[in-house]
Amino acid sequence: MKQHVPPVDQIERILQGNKAHARRTLEADPEFFKGYADKQRPGVLWIGCADSRVPETTISDSKPGEIFVHRNIANVVNTDEVGANSVLDFAVGNVKVQKIVVCGHTNCGGAAAALGDANLGPNLNKWIEPLRELRKSHQGELDKLKTDYLRGLRVVELNVQRSVKNVKANATVQQAMKGRGLTVHGFVYDIPTGELRALDTAE
Amino acid sequence: MDSPTIQPIPRYLQQSHERIFENNRKWVASKREADPAFFEKLSAGQTPEYLYIGCSDSRVPANEIMGLDAGEVFVHRNIANLVPNTDLNVMSVINYAVRHLHVKHIVVCGHYNCGGVKAALTPADMGILNPWLRNIRDVYRLHEKELDGIEDKDAKYNRLIELNTIESCRNIMKTAAVQQSYQKNQYPIVHGWVFDLHDGLLKDLKFDFEETLEGIMKIYQLE
Ligand SMILES: [Zn+2]
Ligand SMILES: [Zn+2]
Repeated sequence: MKQHVPPVDQIERILQGNKAHARRTLEADPEFFKGYADKQRPGVLWIGCADSRVPETTISDSKPGEIFVHRNIANVVNTDEVGANSVLDFAVGNVKVQKIVVCGHTNCGGAAAALGDANLGPNLNKWIEPLRELRKSHQGELDKLKTDYLRGLRVVELNVQRSVKNVKANATVQQAMKGRGLTVHGFVYDIPTGELRALDTAE
Repeated sequence: MDSPTIQPIPRYLQQSHERIFENNRKWVASKREADPAFFEKLSAGQTPEYLYIGCSDSRVPANEIMGLDAGEVFVHRNIANLVPNTDLNVMSVINYAVRHLHVKHIVVCGHYNCGGVKAALTPADMGILNPWLRNIRDVYRLHEKELDGIEDKDAKYNRLIELNTIESCRNIMKTAAVQQSYQKNQYPIVHGWVFDLHDGLLKDLKFDFEETLEGIMKIYQLE
């Protein structure tokens, strides 16, 4: 059981954390906020899981302003879904990122749920349907693995590959790949060690 | 699946690519030094108290601006921190965070100088972005009188950013997950904030959660 903390204190803690962050930023670079509001120039679009243990800027030790971000349940990208495709269009067409990273992770709740068919309610059932499809189409391969942890991890990898493929199906992304060398990459973040590794997603 | 083959990556991209991995290793080392069991604890599961819904904008990194560490906040970020009523993407996030993770607070965080809101104020055909940005134009329509009354262009833009953030809060409160959990547990509480890129500070829009929820439930109540 989590210890119950009065709600007011939890919010106060964030607001104090914010003040401390702003102060530290200025201490490190008194000019940091000059021109910061005018334009963003991130090199990377990160599409990751909403999981609290995988904060993109923190785990890649990046600075604010370096990574444009979309995070959803299990880093799913579908070709016909407006939310993620709006992010792709804006990041590639307007902000002009140079690379796109799709990052899955070990211990992913979405992938674990996709190993079975438990009813998660209509929203979540629908959202993780692609992962369940991947599980079914790779059942033989998954059966050979020894633990649910490994089966879940394999679904994570397959899902990253699927999302990478769907990112590359976006028309704006395709144009930028041909026109200015935009590249798309698949990563997996390993929670037990904190380390990122690249998946081979070239086609 | 297509059979994987290895393709050479251009050198300048290779470099920025490697930097992410290099920085990641540095971060791991510093975390381990401060707390050798840090990753072991995270492997056991996540128990975040907060769900954060914010803009994709690179200048507004959730954990950093709130001073929270890995494992403390569940995060959804899209263009202009929208919560469209029929968007499965954000709805599945809210559902999971409320029903499975039992978060105590949901923070919607907009930010001044939001490019998404600016695009919605600009009469241009944005292709696939049109239906997405239309949600922001709907917020304008809901507050047409107030916004039309603001002469100064920047002040109008800033106010739309605030109203758009509050609209997302309202849409969260319309969900069955939030209404049912609140009735049973008195949480989650929904907060609307705006991040200011000029000084790095968060501004609480301070709308009255209980009062707003009551108003919403008059029309949208889901037992
Ligand atoms: Zn996950
Ligand atoms: Zn924005």
